[in-house]
Amino acid sequence: MGRCLMLAAGLLALSTPCAFGAGADLAAGPETMHIHDARDRVSVSWVDYKVPAIQLVRADGKAVSLPKELDDGRPVVMNFIYTTCETICPLSSGTFSQFQSRLGAYRKDAHLVSISIDPEQDTPARLREYAKKFHAGPGWSHYTGTVQATSTTLQAFGVFWADKMSHTPVTLMRAAPGKAWMRIDGFVTPDQLLTHYHDMLASR
Amino acid sequence: MAPALRVACAMALLAAAPLPLAAAHRRAPVMAPSASVAIGEAIYRFGRLPSGQSMKGQREGGVYANGADAACVNCHRPSGLGAAEGRGFIPPITGQFLFHSNSESRQVRDLPFIEGARPNRDPYTNETLARAIRDGVGVDGKPLSVLMPRFALDDASMAALIAYLKSLSTKSVPGVSDTVLQFATIVTPDADPAKRDAMLAVLNDYFAEKNANARFASPRMYSYRKQMFMVTRHWQLHVWELRGPADTWESQLKHFLATEPVFAVISGLGGRNWAPVHHFCEQAGLPCLFPNVQLPVVAEADFHTLYFSKGVLLEAGLIAHQLQDHAAKPAIHRLVQIYRTNDIGGAAARALELSARTAGLTVVNRPLKESAGDLAAAVAETGPADGLVLWLRPEDLAVLNARPAKAAQVWVSGLMGGLENAPLPAAWRSTTRLAYPFDLPEKRRIRVDYPLGWFRIRKIPVTDVQMQADTFLACGLLSETLNHMADAFVRDYLIERIENMLEHRVITGYYPRLALAPGQRFASKGGYIVRFAGDSGIKLTGASDWIVP
Repeated sequence: MGRCLMLAAGLLALSTPCAFGAGADLAAGPETMHIHDARDRVSVSWVDYKVPAIQLVRADGKAVSLPKELDDGRPVVMNFIYTTCETICPLSSGTFSQFQSRLGAYRKDAHLVSISIDPEQDTPARLREYAKKFHAGPGWSHYTGTVQATSTTLQAFGVFWADKMSHTPVTLMRAAPGKAWMRIDGFVTPDQLLTHYHDMLASR
Repeated sequence: MAPALRVACAMALLAAAPLPLAAAHRRAPVMAPSASVAIGEAIYRFGRLPSGQSMKGQREGGVYANGADAACVNCHRPSGLGAAEGRGFIPPITGQFLFHSNSESRQVRDLPFIEGARPNRDPYTNETLARAIRDGVGVDGKPLSVLMPRFALDDASMAALIAYLKSLSTKSVPGVSDTVLQFATIVTPDADPAKRDAMLAVLNDYFAEKNANARFASPRMYSYRKQMFMVTRHWQLHVWELRGPADTWESQLKHFLATEPVFAVISGLGGRNWAPVHHFCEQAGLPCLFPNVQLPVVAEADFHTLYFSKGVLLEAGLIAHQLQDHAAKPAIHRLVQIYRTNDIGGAAARALELSARTAGLTVVNRPLKESAGDLAAAVAETGPADGLVLWLRPEDLAVLNARPAKAAQVWVSGLMGGLENAPLPAAWRSTTRLAYPFDLPEKRRIRVDYPLGWFRIRKIPVTDVQMQADTFLACGLLSETLNHMADAFVRDYLIERIENMLEHRVITGYYPRLALAPGQRFASKGGYIVRFAGDSGIKLTGASDWIVP
């Protein structure tokens, strides 16, 4: 039946770690799925993303080189947010917050990175407010930049959405510079994130 | 919840103080509600429990949200009709949708078409809905999305919330019949009459063409799959011209709305003061889409008015950004700003003053009254260590002294001065910089050619191309959004759909990019600082890319 086909196709789409391209028409197509059907669709894959040599602006206002920020030796855990998002991002950032505090003694080792997908709205000041809301501890940085720099970054990490409303939950992790990235699509819980993180470091 | 606790909560409820008033800029409940619905609204919109405590929304893994962050409105939106987010839909939760089945076998659907509505779901009851909210279990017994938090609401709060959900979007919508959609446009008495005529020419012709292309209102089309319902209606425009002092405008608008109920306000034209109109639309819950105002009301927590940009306030930000560069070089110590007291320059000057002082400059404001003589004197005061900002209209720029000011740098408001047609005397043009909150002429040419061609065909005199292009753009946005809404005519939903869809748009007129989101009311967020080239061309200065202050 048409309904089953839709659901199956949706499952397939959600489990493939491809970049979600021009997702302009949300009404049509088999990939759209009701949010209540998307419950446990967490999928993990490994990808060799190359960090683009791009300049972003950190929440403290400083212009920084993204490779320098990410390649300081620390493991990186990264997500993509925008400060006025009231649906997916609060969950994603809330998860990062719980993850960071549960790292405990390992907290200083992990570099949490949140990159804005709405750079024109998300000024450094707004990012600072947002970080505060989620009790971001040291080691968790937020970034914005020009529209071009941001879209280059998103494309480099296979998370380019046609617009911010089309964004999906994605977490990227990398044990060390030069290693492959673990890509987690879907709503990952803090415990699941912790498990993946430790597994990733163990297999480094 | 333990029975003892429930009793305690009920008693606390009885003893609870009356619900505190919502903040002034938040819309009061539109219905004259029972206390229950009002309590439910506070829970839904602000995450505030009857006790005054913040509601807590618990998610998996210890992630939780409090109060306003936990409020239902964040995901399910003011209309209660949900939204599309990423690859999922957040479902509608108005009483209509929760308590009715969405069965495909029905011959006649009296539910509006909402993409995110769950098909083939049994209707909720008060009990199963309470279970969904408390335990995250759907009516089918399956768990709800991990996005949906769990809320520990006592029985009285739950009943109030459910009463509110039943009250959402059930009223018949003003300005919408089976055959006609009513819109208004608002013109303030201090608006430029020539601009008013130019805007109305665009609006009237757009409506006329829309109606000419539509045939008679077609019967409702139904489909058993996911297609949108297409219903054609006649568009009717009411022009609400305000008169007299600004403190009488709200009552005039109330009277207009009562006698000519409309679904939304499209475009419009302001002069010095748009605040009474903005506040009226917010109080009345009336969408106001992209009025032509150079000084908007900045209230990002408000909902109903959408603006293209912050106008002269954005220009103040662009100039402030340049001043930060200047502060690095010792060239400018003092900023002098000249504006007329009976115009919007003062508001812009105050905004720029704040940033300039932060950058370490002294700021001197020179407000002028009527006579042009003051202008020459004010300009003559500036010296080589000054920056000069002119928040002036073309008639003032045209009578500036032929010899430019001695200031180290002069900036002019593009919006007020006439953009690339600002009639600055020749000797000023080589060094003056223009605040320019639009895309550059060569970059926007293809996008703007379309409305220009349309104006030509309709024989509309083009006397203010930017404002008329903006008006045309606003009409197009309204039209597109309504097409996607099919027959879900809900005022708040119109705003929500524009928020969601705007960023997709490729044709953005004078603006390089338009984007909105919940909590964002200004669609274009940046601009350029440009220099004059030749008699009427402009070119980009070396230092300025697109600036987002």
